[in-house]
Amino acid sequence: MRVRFTGLKAWWVQRVSAVYMLLFVLFLLYSFALQPLQAFPQWHTWMARPGTSVAFLVFFAALLGHMWVGLRDVLLDYARPAGLRQVLLAAVAFGLLGLGIWLLWILLRLQG
Amino acid sequence: MKLSISRYDPERDKKPYLQDYEIELVPTDHMLLDVLLRVKAQDNTLSFRKSCREGVCGSDAMNINGRNGLACITRVSELREPVVIRPLPGFPIVRDLFVDMTQFFKQYHSIKPYLVNPESPPDRERLQSPAERDKLDGAYECILCACCSSQCPSYWWNPDKFVGPAGLIQAYRFIFDSRDRATKERLDDLDNDPYRLFRCRTIMNCAEVCPKGLEPVHAIERIRLKIAGLAEPVGGLDVHPPISPR
Repeated sequence: MRVRFTGLKAWWVQRVSAVYMLLFVLFLLYSFALQPLQAFPQWHTWMARPGTSVAFLVFFAALLGHMWVGLRDVLLDYARPAGLRQVLLAAVAFGLLGLGIWLLWILLRLQG
Repeated sequence: MKLSISRYDPERDKKPYLQDYEIELVPTDHMLLDVLLRVKAQDNTLSFRKSCREGVCGSDAMNINGRNGLACITRVSELREPVVIRPLPGFPIVRDLFVDMTQFFKQYHSIKPYLVNPESPPDRERLQSPAERDKLDGAYECILCACCSSQCPSYWWNPDKFVGPAGLIQAYRFIFDSRDRATKERLDDLDNDPYRLFRCRTIMNCAEVCPKGLEPVHAIERIRLKIAGLAEPVGGLDVHPPISPR
């Protein structure tokens, strides 16, 4: 399969993910200010709630998508030889995919 | 006035170097080009482009004290000494301040800088409403001097793939022209390649150095919004008073 890069999709991913992450971080700060989590069991129960888990899942997806666009841009700009660029892009993609699987595994484990 | 001018003769020099000149100013020396012409009278080996000497042709674009500008509209009285003059950065040097603009014009031609309209021409002319015409303000004034593209880091990295601010403000001028019928093709051409439009990182050097005070970065943002199917703009592009090199 050949991956086609277009400009607009990346532009959308960058902007939508940034807005979600900003709102999510503000929401986190607000909820921690209202109800600080003081011990691990409390944090565990809070994280295991389906609402929290899904919100974090979307947050991490947004974070990984945002990282992909940013790192892809750096490589498109600076990695001039096409072969080297492809290898580095693939390395970044696999790295981010690995992080995504790891995060998903942690979130699923919290569900017990 | 003390000047340090970049010199390079490809047949003699390995790399460009700065040569110092000292010129006694006379009352008619208003603009930097006046002084450069007097340097040239003293040392006729110095090469640079110039033509209209009033900021219309864009021939004498150069890097003046680290900032791109037109020598003919840069006031001598405002310049810090010694005035360091170099060729446009990022462009191959042909000789002294003379640069090769082939790549720059290749990018300009790639956006099809002409109206595409297969409909049979009307008897007199293709009309526009004043509101449709207003959208072209801030774009049609571009004189293609290359100050913007040559000061754009994204263009330095990929001059062969990124259209650059000068080409993109021209692209805007035709995409938003109500008489043009190739809008979709123009937008697809810029979107289907991640380099042509989307390498712009909104650094905004283009707006900062434009000797006409135009803002190619605003044109680029409007093209992106148009591709995304968002907000049809009202009125022309932002324009600001030009900031001359100091």
